[in-house]
Amino acid sequence: MSLMGRLDELSASFRVRRAWLAFAVVVFIAVIVVPAVFVVTKVFTDWDLVQGILDDPASMSVIEGAVWNSFSIAFIVTIIDIVVGLPMAWIMVRRDFKGKRWLDTLLDMPLAFPTAVLGISVVMFWGAPEGISIPGLGLDLSPYMMLVLLHIIFTYPYMVRSLSGILEQIDVNYETAAMTLGASKWTAVRTITLPLFRAGMATGFILCFARSLSETGGTYIALTMMGVQSSFFTGPTFISWLKSDVGSTDSPEVMGSMILISVIMIVLALILLVVVKWIIRRFRIPFDKVWPVLGRKVSRGPLPKAKDFLTIAFLVVIVLLPSFYIFMYLTQPAASIDYGTLMSSIGTSFLVAGVAVVVDVILGVPLSLYIARNRNGKLANILDGLVNVPLIIPTTALGFSLALFWGSFGAGDSLALLLVILGHISFTYPLVVRNLIGAIEEVNPECEEVAMTLGAKPFQAFRRILMPIIKSSVIAGGILAFTRSLGETGATLSISSSVNTVPIYITRLVEAGDYTEAAMCSIILIAVCFVLMMAVRALTHRRQGRDA
Amino acid sequence: MTILGPSGCGKTTLIKVIAGIWTPTEGKVYVDGQDVTNVPMEDRDVGYVFQNIALFPMMTLKDNVEYSPRVKDLGKERMEELSEEYLKLVGMFQRAGLLPDELSGGEQQKVAIARALASGSKMLMLDEPLSALDARVRVELRYELRRIVKKLGITVLHVTHDQEEAMSVSDRIVLMRYGAIAEVGTPLEIYRRPKSVFAANFIGETNLLECTVSDWSKSGKTRVTLRGGREVKVSRTDFRPGDAVVLSVRPEHVYPDEEGIEAVVKSVVFVGTYWRVRTVAESSDYIQYNVPAEDEVPGEGDVVHLVLNRKMTVVFPRPEGGIEEEIRLE
Amino acid sequence: MPEIVLEDLCKSFGDSVAADHLNLRIEDGEYVCILGPTGAGKTTCMRMICGLTRPDSGKVILGGRDATNDSPDLRNATMLSQTYALFPHLTVYNNVMFAPKTKGWPEADSKQIVRSMLHMVHLDQKADWMPGELSGGQQQRIALARALASGSKILLLDEPLRALDARLRIDLRKELRSLAKEMGLTCIHVTHDQDEALEMADRIAIIRRGRIIQFGTPREVFDDPATPFVANFVGRSNIMTGTVVGHPDGLTEVEVAGIRLPARASDLPVGSEAVVAVKIGFTKLTKPGAEPDEEDEAEDIPARGYARGRVERVLYEGATITVEATVEGLGLISAKLPNRKYEEFAAGDTVEVSWPAAKANVFPMPDCGLEEEMRLDRWRGSSSTGSRCASATSTPSGTYPWTSATAST
Repeated sequence: MSLMGRLDELSASFRVRRAWLAFAVVVFIAVIVVPAVFVVTKVFTDWDLVQGILDDPASMSVIEGAVWNSFSIAFIVTIIDIVVGLPMAWIMVRRDFKGKRWLDTLLDMPLAFPTAVLGISVVMFWGAPEGISIPGLGLDLSPYMMLVLLHIIFTYPYMVRSLSGILEQIDVNYETAAMTLGASKWTAVRTITLPLFRAGMATGFILCFARSLSETGGTYIALTMMGVQSSFFTGPTFISWLKSDVGSTDSPEVMGSMILISVIMIVLALILLVVVKWIIRRFRIPFDKVWPVLGRKVSRGPLPKAKDFLTIAFLVVIVLLPSFYIFMYLTQPAASIDYGTLMSSIGTSFLVAGVAVVVDVILGVPLSLYIARNRNGKLANILDGLVNVPLIIPTTALGFSLALFWGSFGAGDSLALLLVILGHISFTYPLVVRNLIGAIEEVNPECEEVAMTLGAKPFQAFRRILMPIIKSSVIAGGILAFTRSLGETGATLSISSSVNTVPIYITRLVEAGDYTEAAMCSIILIAVCFVLMMAVRALTHRRQGRDA
Repeated sequence: MTILGPSGCGKTTLIKVIAGIWTPTEGKVYVDGQDVTNVPMEDRDVGYVFQNIALFPMMTLKDNVEYSPRVKDLGKERMEELSEEYLKLVGMFQRAGLLPDELSGGEQQKVAIARALASGSKMLMLDEPLSALDARVRVELRYELRRIVKKLGITVLHVTHDQEEAMSVSDRIVLMRYGAIAEVGTPLEIYRRPKSVFAANFIGETNLLECTVSDWSKSGKTRVTLRGGREVKVSRTDFRPGDAVVLSVRPEHVYPDEEGIEAVVKSVVFVGTYWRVRTVAESSDYIQYNVPAEDEVPGEGDVVHLVLNRKMTVVFPRPEGGIEEEIRLE
Repeated sequence: MPEIVLEDLCKSFGDSVAADHLNLRIEDGEYVCILGPTGAGKTTCMRMICGLTRPDSGKVILGGRDATNDSPDLRNATMLSQTYALFPHLTVYNNVMFAPKTKGWPEADSKQIVRSMLHMVHLDQKADWMPGELSGGQQQRIALARALASGSKILLLDEPLRALDARLRIDLRKELRSLAKEMGLTCIHVTHDQDEALEMADRIAIIRRGRIIQFGTPREVFDDPATPFVANFVGRSNIMTGTVVGHPDGLTEVEVAGIRLPARASDLPVGSEAVVAVKIGFTKLTKPGAEPDEEDEAEDIPARGYARGRVERVLYEGATITVEATVEGLGLISAKLPNRKYEEFAAGDTVEVSWPAAKANVFPMPDCGLEEEMRLDRWRGSSSTGSRCASATSTPSGTYPWTSATAST
């Protein structure tokens, strides 16, 4: 009997299916969730280290400042994203116009850019640092402002995506119904659609907030280029600064600071997740009063047009131009690039990302299947929540925690590459699983059920029915995770300083002041990511085309 | 008035254009003699009830019904007055404080109607309002719907693909097909004197017999010959002998009689108050007829003789694409 | 040997009970409809038969073998679902081919079977199309062909016609039944449409709140309903409540608001509260003094009606007309009459109400109150059945909200 045949037979047993699920869950928890939050236990086991920092006002003020910067920037950025993201989501979902596909692609563009690259590009656009001859805007911005501008760029696509995702699910009939009842467009949106939007806001808010909170590479590069990397910190840059500049993690001060700030970031992020969910569920947009005349004025004539214009202008000026500014380097005389090192770092990056994605998919499929098909089950809901954990935890803290966890089993620097891969699995896993859950939920569960009543074993039904249907989503999710892994700096850095991925290489170049070379490497990296991004689009587009 | 037709024939498009939800590519819409083609939907005062009900899920029934007065800023008293009036009208006043999810589908749809009425519109568009409901609830609700509408004396355009529903609720029926209006008439007119084979078959069940006109006198008296050679008297027409025609006769106008067309019984089905007997006639046409519940019914394979009620027959020219094509539903 | 036997099946999801001691015996080759309102537990019942849902307790016996713990692929019971669930990534041909291939039948046989199935549903021309390119009716037939090609002897149909246009639904009823009969299949057909059930089934099981309340031929269910709910669910009925006053001539006499109404024989004690249900199709409305119709004469109908009323409206509904009249004490009475009587009635006319006594069913007053008993659709609210029963208000005898909610004057 063939392997497939044997698997088919095995899958008929309820116990085997249970065991397989249990295995996937155990691996998920042991390899992904626990290491990610392991650092929290350090507070108890190594209390004296932490105590030392708590007693040192100088270190504390730096840590407090870093945490404050991280959270306040994330908050400001997220609010701006919501304000400008809503009208954009509206344009994307409720309008039909020529070139919509182009706009759609442009929106995703910043996702194709590794954040380290965005860091270079944005700083050059808004405030050309010394030593670069390309004319930028040259504004004299504070590091804080610069980071806000930078973070908007890579969180904005997440916000627009999640808002439009929810908007698509809200039946347009609600709005139409309100309008046939005499409400102007503005009133209808304010009183009907927005209140229905709460869940979407929560998702978008958490995604953007977490992304901003955990971003390391771009932030660090921006700060380095502005020359303030050792005086202005965010949480993640503080960790990587400690790790790479101060060096040795053996000193109790460094260790204590890293533990403390990691724990603070993790705990605050988790608390925030719960609080935001709670607030948004409770929060109601008051609508007792209506202003029919005002509503009408706002709904028609020049105002909606102005709104659309501003939305697009924001996208172009704040998001797109600064991202693409790096291509200005192509006009510069070619710098000498150390191709050997670049190639080896690209190789490392691909190895890490590739292995991570494959493991994600193999482990992610049974879990997503279970979550998607047992929506009402308690266990499924808990797992669903747990999947998000690595998404919310700042990757730098996650990487640090992971290194500590495996280090406690004796995994030293010799296994650095393996650890980096494990780290990348952690934060890409949610992306793959989210994608899979979405894809599986779209498939009519009756397809598999009918297949089984037609004589198919569960694994046969999965192999011949479900898998071919969701195949393109699996690949799309994989590619998304791949690009995310390619662009990650913080986690890699905080796990080991010896693994040289492309973003790390670029960071090093910037640190050394080789901006031109860094820019050229960035452009190459962008090109790779962009090709992958296009592949995702082609795949998802084909899927929609077939459904239609 | 009801707009009736198979799926995809443009029924919903028509009323969405009237309500202003979609703008027509060409042509104009008049309401009360006024061109409203460019009036936005919030100012048209046309109530619209959706197939999927679309009650605002986060508001109570009362808030739902009060929505329109609220956005028009009619004042608190007027608002309460209207919601009470219309919730009472649909018999849901007792449960005004519930959320839509707590009601059954039929009850939700009643509230949706109350909500549309509370906007003060003189016209109501109902887009397949009953099709999401259970069959039995649907039947109950359509009688109630008509009662409400008649009581208020408003104009209603009701879209449906269910010909029974159309017959029960409407004063007049517009039959649509392929994006065009095929026929307009009262239920009585359309059922008794349909103008096309399609209408005859779509509205109510009918027997269609392929035949040829064999005899015609100036007074309009016509005889037709069925396949197989039997001659049958039909209602008055102005066809000429030799014309290829289709004869339509409703099952309730076919009776067993010694003299009639020979037919073999294929199946006998109990449908409540009567039996439905399906036969294949000697002319190889299918003929169905009804037998009252208490009467003797023939068994499968029995031979029966059937006559047609001459006055209730309708004759159409034979469609060029063949009968099958003409009565296709999809 | 009976093909399908359900013994004491129970299943609940959290608080809601989907199956409450279900018992059913279905014979080989029978076409059975499970009829009930939304949320009655019809689909759960069917899913337990084909093994997609595990019962909490009880047994499923297929073809004499206890199959309760078998997985779906071993049961030879094929499901045809409401949404058809055609495999979107396979062509029509490969959809039908799925079962033969899965079961590993010889290639030549499989091809032969698939061809003949496609031919049977008149879709051999479309073998290479994708399911998404077909119309609803065609998709439905493909799903049927796919189910038949599996060689299963049991076919489970979950509201197979629901997604289709009303008129098309009627045509497909005949087609579906005759195909099933031709192939000698045992069919269980779940539906909420009583016309469909009457027309298609050999026997009908009426299910409500997870219980089978009646199982019988269409005729039995229509003529001898087990409860007032069945009386009104399978064909509309006029419902009246009153007190039993006697049993003259083997009939039951019930007094409603001072009017004595005859109903069929029963053993309800004199003085007890009773519910009388008469199908609107058996209710007669006549003009006082009008010549009795020849058809009416044949039946056992008194010359004078039981009560007088005023015609509210007359609806022309094709083969039949529906006349509604308000009758003092009885409320709104509907009657379904042949369409030739359309010209006889006009709103405002005085009419007499009568019916053949043998066609009037009489029931004891249900324990949970009449309003709750008659509810046609599920109340989705979370409030328990018990409290709803208790709060059912005592409506004045004669008028009930489900037939005459807004009828006035």
